[in-house]
Amino acid sequence: MVAQKITIEPVTRIEGHAKVTIRMKDDGQVDHAYFHVNEFRGFEKFCEGRMVFEMPLITPRICGICPVSHHLASAKAGDEVLGAPPPRPASLLRELMHMGQIVQSHGMHFFELAGPDLLLGFDADPAIRNVVGLLQANPELTVKAVNLRKWGQEIIRILGGRRVHPNFAIPGGVNKALTQTERDTILSGYDEALATTMAALEIMYGWAEANAEDINKFAVLKSGYFGLVKPGNTLELYDGQVRLTDSDGKELEKFDPRNYLDYIAEHVESWSYLKFPYYKKMGYPQGVYRVGPLGRCNTSDKMATPLADAELKKFKQLNGGKPVENTLHYHTARLVETVYAIENVKVLLNDPDILSNDVLNTCRDPKPYGVGVVEAPRGTLIHHYWMNENQQIEKVNLIVSSGHNNWVMSEAVDSVAKSYIKGPDVTEGMLNRVEAAIRAHDPCLSCSTHAVGQMPIQLEIRDSKDQLVKTITRD
Amino acid sequence: MKTLIFGYGNADREDDGVSWHILHEVMKRNRLEVSDELDIETYDEARQVQYVFQLQLTPEIADDLKDYDRVCFIDAHTGAVPEEVHVEQVSKGFQKSPFTHHLTPSSLLSIAETLHQKIPETILVSVRGYEFGFSQSLSPKTASLVGKAADIIMQWLEQEDSPAAGRIS
Repeated sequence: MVAQKITIEPVTRIEGHAKVTIRMKDDGQVDHAYFHVNEFRGFEKFCEGRMVFEMPLITPRICGICPVSHHLASAKAGDEVLGAPPPRPASLLRELMHMGQIVQSHGMHFFELAGPDLLLGFDADPAIRNVVGLLQANPELTVKAVNLRKWGQEIIRILGGRRVHPNFAIPGGVNKALTQTERDTILSGYDEALATTMAALEIMYGWAEANAEDINKFAVLKSGYFGLVKPGNTLELYDGQVRLTDSDGKELEKFDPRNYLDYIAEHVESWSYLKFPYYKKMGYPQGVYRVGPLGRCNTSDKMATPLADAELKKFKQLNGGKPVENTLHYHTARLVETVYAIENVKVLLNDPDILSNDVLNTCRDPKPYGVGVVEAPRGTLIHHYWMNENQQIEKVNLIVSSGHNNWVMSEAVDSVAKSYIKGPDVTEGMLNRVEAAIRAHDPCLSCSTHAVGQMPIQLEIRDSKDQLVKTITRD
Repeated sequence: MKTLIFGYGNADREDDGVSWHILHEVMKRNRLEVSDELDIETYDEARQVQYVFQLQLTPEIADDLKDYDRVCFIDAHTGAVPEEVHVEQVSKGFQKSPFTHHLTPSSLLSIAETLHQKIPETILVSVRGYEFGFSQSLSPKTASLVGKAADIIMQWLEQEDSPAAGRIS
């Protein structure tokens, strides 16, 4: 048999697409699989010359999935560069919005993106292996999942005026206080949101037990782990220090995220526009790490809320107290975090300062640059601005969450392809598993444009001379 | 008859935001106030038409569809269809994106029917985009298509009392 190259690629090749290339050996085994990102990152240039205060409104438009994360990271960078630390009530309110974002994003990912694979099976008919199939199989659960996302979206809308591009966080604080009525409205959805998420966790653990072979075979990778923590290595999603641990869970670094450039560098590969961040001291690729739910649950020793903390302890037992390395347990970690986010909503709403009108610091002490970091649903998000004397942006550096995970997504695809693809007859279920390896990381790849974000899959089988043998297009 | 006209795309990414410009044109022709705000949620009470512009289609929109008798989605395309201004009846049918959070009008109808056992008459007006840089203006080629798309939507709106209301003849 001639060595073959199988390419999974969207039909449109304008920027923003991810492509998977699977290169086959002569004996039909997979030689290597690559995950390419063709995303053109022009957003930083677009921001040059803008006023700093505009950035929390501009940067959310980078992303259609997690605009709130950009909104908050941008406001934090603005706080720094304008020398305007927000009053405590404003930080509480920003964190509240952030929890809404975590709940809606994680909830949607588990039920609408990953859930159908897990609950209906990787090999299920594609016609039903989607949220509609899930609705038909378990209508009550799916309706609750829709309500979970709605609750998260409603928190964002109440605070920011709208669900998708809120206008709320500004350098120095936020532009409105929370009313008692709004607080009570949010709290009224708490019990159902928590119950739905706990039910989802039970489903996930049940699935993991029934599919132990898949869990233990599917992209089990060694890497470092990276995420924000509070003192005591408690998971933190809004504001904390970065903790980086190695593949055995040993702490490598703990640092102020403002100093990220002292610790992280970015490697460039010829076959991808997206760079590969890594821990400088270990070099590339030894210093690669994972972010997002699995990264955070592995770098944290505890959660600040009781149910989530109990779930984290249970999660850590999946690998006897060592870092959990199974890619499919990203889904479990995602749900553990959702429990924390929901419980934290209640903690925040019960804080005596949450209804305060002291929400904006208008003093200014400008600096030449500032860094804002949050834990977006997908992982650590960094906004770094350099400003001139007119308070205009001179330069921007953004490291988006999925950028950190670039290496691990590629490795996950390689691992899954080698585990499941044997020979030239590639089934739909095998392809779905390769996609699931990427989907587990919930990547944020060019949702910035709708038109080029439509991604039907095209599979190309090529021989060792790169001649096209066969094309398969997936809708 | 309640109508929803829903445009989506990123208005900061040149032609990806063409539906925002089309919505503006249709609203102006119906003598509704428009502004430079990138998010649109305007209700024309006299004609019972809701105008919405959002960055993306999201699952909760499926729940909202139950409130309408007919829906017109507007978006940009990159040449996947031959016509520069393409109009089609939308049928239900879930399409999954492997990598991103991405929904289509067909997928929304599919979810809507499963949730509420009914779906509105739905069309999609899709306009060719040529440039997707970082700008709120349209490329000249796409800008020239806005009027034609607005004509089609106005004609569709006027088909209120016909038995095939909502269908493009």
